[in-house]
Amino acid sequence: MEKQNRRSFLKTTALIGAAATGISTKSASAKPKNILSEDRMGVLVDTTVCIGCRNCEWACKTAHNIPTEDQIKYEDRSVFKQMRRPEPNAFTVVNEYPNPQNSALPTDVKIQCMHCDHPACVSACIVGAISKEENGSVIWDTKKCIGCRYCMVACPFQIPSFDYNKPMNPEIRKCDFCIERTKKGLLPACVKNCPVEALTYGPRNELIKEARERIKRYPDKYFNHIYGETEAGGTSWMYLANQDFSKLAFPSPGDKPMPGASESIQHGIFAYFVPPAFLYALLGGIMWITKKRNEPE
Amino acid sequence: MIKKIFTIVVVLFFALTTYSQNKLPKNHSLSNLTCKTCHSCDVPTKKNPCLIACPRAEMVTINQSPEQAPEVEILKELSNRYMPVVFSHKMHAQMSQMSGGCETCHHYNTIGPIQPCINCHETSRKREDISKPDLEAAYHRQCINCHREWSHSNDCTSCHALKNKNESISISSYVKKITGKSHPALVEPKKVVYETNYNKGKIVTFFHNEHVNLFGAKCIDCHKDENCTKCHDKTKTTFAQQKASDMPIKIRKSKEEHHKPCFSCHQDDKCNLCHKDKSMSPFNHAVTTGWALNKFHENLICEKCHGSSSKFVKLNNDCNNCHKDFAAGKFDHKVSGLKLSENHKDLDCIECHKEKNFAKAPTCENCHDDKSFPKDKPGTEVNVSLKKKR
Ligand code: SF4
Ligand code: SF4
Ligand code: SF4
Repeated sequence: MEKQNRRSFLKTTALIGAAATGISTKSASAKPKNILSEDRMGVLVDTTVCIGCRNCEWACKTAHNIPTEDQIKYEDRSVFKQMRRPEPNAFTVVNEYPNPQNSALPTDVKIQCMHCDHPACVSACIVGAISKEENGSVIWDTKKCIGCRYCMVACPFQIPSFDYNKPMNPEIRKCDFCIERTKKGLLPACVKNCPVEALTYGPRNELIKEARERIKRYPDKYFNHIYGETEAGGTSWMYLANQDFSKLAFPSPGDKPMPGASESIQHGIFAYFVPPAFLYALLGGIMWITKKRNEPE
Repeated sequence: MIKKIFTIVVVLFFALTTYSQNKLPKNHSLSNLTCKTCHSCDVPTKKNPCLIACPRAEMVTINQSPEQAPEVEILKELSNRYMPVVFSHKMHAQMSQMSGGCETCHHYNTIGPIQPCINCHETSRKREDISKPDLEAAYHRQCINCHREWSHSNDCTSCHALKNKNESISISSYVKKITGKSHPALVEPKKVVYETNYNKGKIVTFFHNEHVNLFGAKCIDCHKDENCTKCHDKTKTTFAQQKASDMPIKIRKSKEEHHKPCFSCHQDDKCNLCHKDKSMSPFNHAVTTGWALNKFHENLICEKCHGSSSKFVKLNNDCNNCHKDFAAGKFDHKVSGLKLSENHKDLDCIECHKEKNFAKAPTCENCHDDKSFPKDKPGTEVNVSLKKKR
C-alpha cells in the first residue's frame, strides 16, 4: 500500500511536470506584479543595534502558527554556539559573530528571505508558485508548489527550505514578509516585536536614505556599505554592520540580478530537449531514495 | 562681610541656573544657536513655534548635577506584557558622571526645559518618520548595551517584572527601595601596577591617590568615557578587588587608548618617567627634586607652589619665590617653633641660614665662636599647631 502510494506520487509529479512544461517558459520570463514600484516596502536591519534576544524568531513562529516554546526560553544564548539556517519551521534565525569593536557585545545577525527586487526564486519556479507582490514581498503558493526545489538552488541567499516531512504534500517554506499582517495594515511580526527596533520597516527608498544618514553620522561605527542595496540587483531587506559583511557570513552574489543565471539553466535544459517529465521523475526518484534512507526502521 | 556677599552671589547663581533649566531664557534668541537649530520656519511665533523634531546632531549641554534631577522615574508609557520600569534616575545619573554625563541619554536638548524621551520618540512603531527609533527602542537602546555588557545576557526581568495583579503595590515597593539611595562612593585605588609591552620598561606604577590628592587631578580629567563594565561585570573580579592586590594588571587596550588619559598632562615627558623595570615607590619630593619638604610644606598640594596642575613650574629653593614677604624684620620666626630673642629678631636670614639654605641646620659662627645650633638656641622654643593647609 505504501509503495503504491509512492508510485502514484511519482506519477502525479511527472504529470504535473509535463503539464507545467507548457507554462514553464512563460512563468520564467513573467514579470512579477508591479515589480520595483516606487513605494515598495522593505526592512533595514541594523546589526549594530540588534542584541540577539531572538524575540523576532519567537514572534515569527507565533504569527505563522508554528508551535514554539515560551518566549522566556528564548533568552538562552547557548543556541549561538552553532550557526543556524532558516528551516521550514523557522523562517528567520539569528546568528552571532565576534564584534571587533567590543568583545563584550557580540554582533547578532537576523537572517530571513531578502525579498529580492528581481527574485531568482520567482524566475526559477516553473509553475509560478512564487511571486513578487506590489509591496515588495516575495510569497509562495503552497497549492501550486510541486516540490521541485528549483527555487532552493536558484536563491543566492539559500533561503527557501523544503519540508521533508510531508512527501505527499511537498512544500517550500520561507519568510513571507508577513503578507497576511501587512495586508491588514499591521507591521511584520518580527519588526513589531524587536525591543530595540533593530528592524526598521519603511519604504525601501527611505530606508536607503536613512541608512546613508546613519553611516554619515557615525563613520567610525559603521562599515561603509548597505548590504542589499545592490546585491543580487537589490533586495527589500537591507543590512548595516560594523564590519565587512563577508565576516558575517553574507554571500557576495554580485550586483546583477540572479534570474539570468537560473533562467539560462532552465532554458539550456529545454534547448537540449531534455523532457522535463524525465527530470521530475529523476528528482522524485532521488527524493524517494533519500526519504527511504532517513526513514526510521 | 566679604564672605557673606560671596555666599549670596553663589546662592543666587545656583538659583538662577536651576531656574533657567526649566524656563526658556528671556533673550534666548540672542544665544549662540542659530534659530534653525530648533525652529523649522523663518518666523516662529508663540502660537506656532514650529519646533523641529530632535536633531540628534546638535546638542546643548545640560548643566545640572545628578542630585538636582529627579530621583526616580517610572517609565510606564509602554507597559503591556511587563510592568512599568522603576528607573533609579539619580543613581544612573551619578554613574554617568564618569562617562558621557547627562547627554548620554538626554542627547538632544534645547536651551529650554530638559526634554523627556517621549517628546521626540513616538510611541507607535508604525509611523511616518523612521529617522529616529520609536520610544520602546529608544529606551531599550539606552539601557541594554551596558546591562548586556555586565550581565552577558538580555535578561528582560532585571528591569521589568512580568505583569501581575498587585501592580500598584509592587511598584510602590520598588520606588521605596531606591528612594534616598545614592550610588555608593567610589572606591579609589591607591596604586595600580600595569604590565605593558614596552621593552625598555615593562612596569608602570600609577599612584591614583597622588594624582588626586597631591597633583590636583579631577576625576573627569581622566575618566571621560568610562564604561559601566569597568566596575560592574558579573563574571570578572571587580576593579576594587583587582586594585587591592599588588598584582600587575595586563594591558588589554591599545597603546593609544592607554596613553590618552596620561598624555593630557604628560605629553612632553620621557617614556622612562613611568616605564620602569619594577614597580615604583610613591612620590617623594626629596628623592625626585633633592629638596625634602619640611613639616610646613609636606601637606600642601603641588599647585600651591608649582602653579596649575596641568603644567607644573619648576622652582629653586629660594623661599622668596613664594614667600614674597620673607624679609628681615618682617618674618614672624615664631611659626617655625622658635621665637627669636630681642637681639636676634632683626638679623638678616643669611646671618644664620647660610646661603639661605633652610634645609641645612643654621650656624652661629658668623657672630659666636663658642655657640652651635641646636645645643644653643637664639630664642625660646614655642609650640606651633600646624593647620592642614590644602
Ligand atoms: S532571497 Fe531567495 S527566496 Fe528570497 S526573494 Fe530572493 S531569491 Fe527568493
Ligand atoms: S517578516 Fe514575517 S515571516 Fe518574515 S521573518 Fe519577519 S515575522 Fe517572519
Ligand atoms: S528581535 Fe530585534 S534585537 Fe532581538 S534578535 Fe531579533 S532583530 Fe535582534
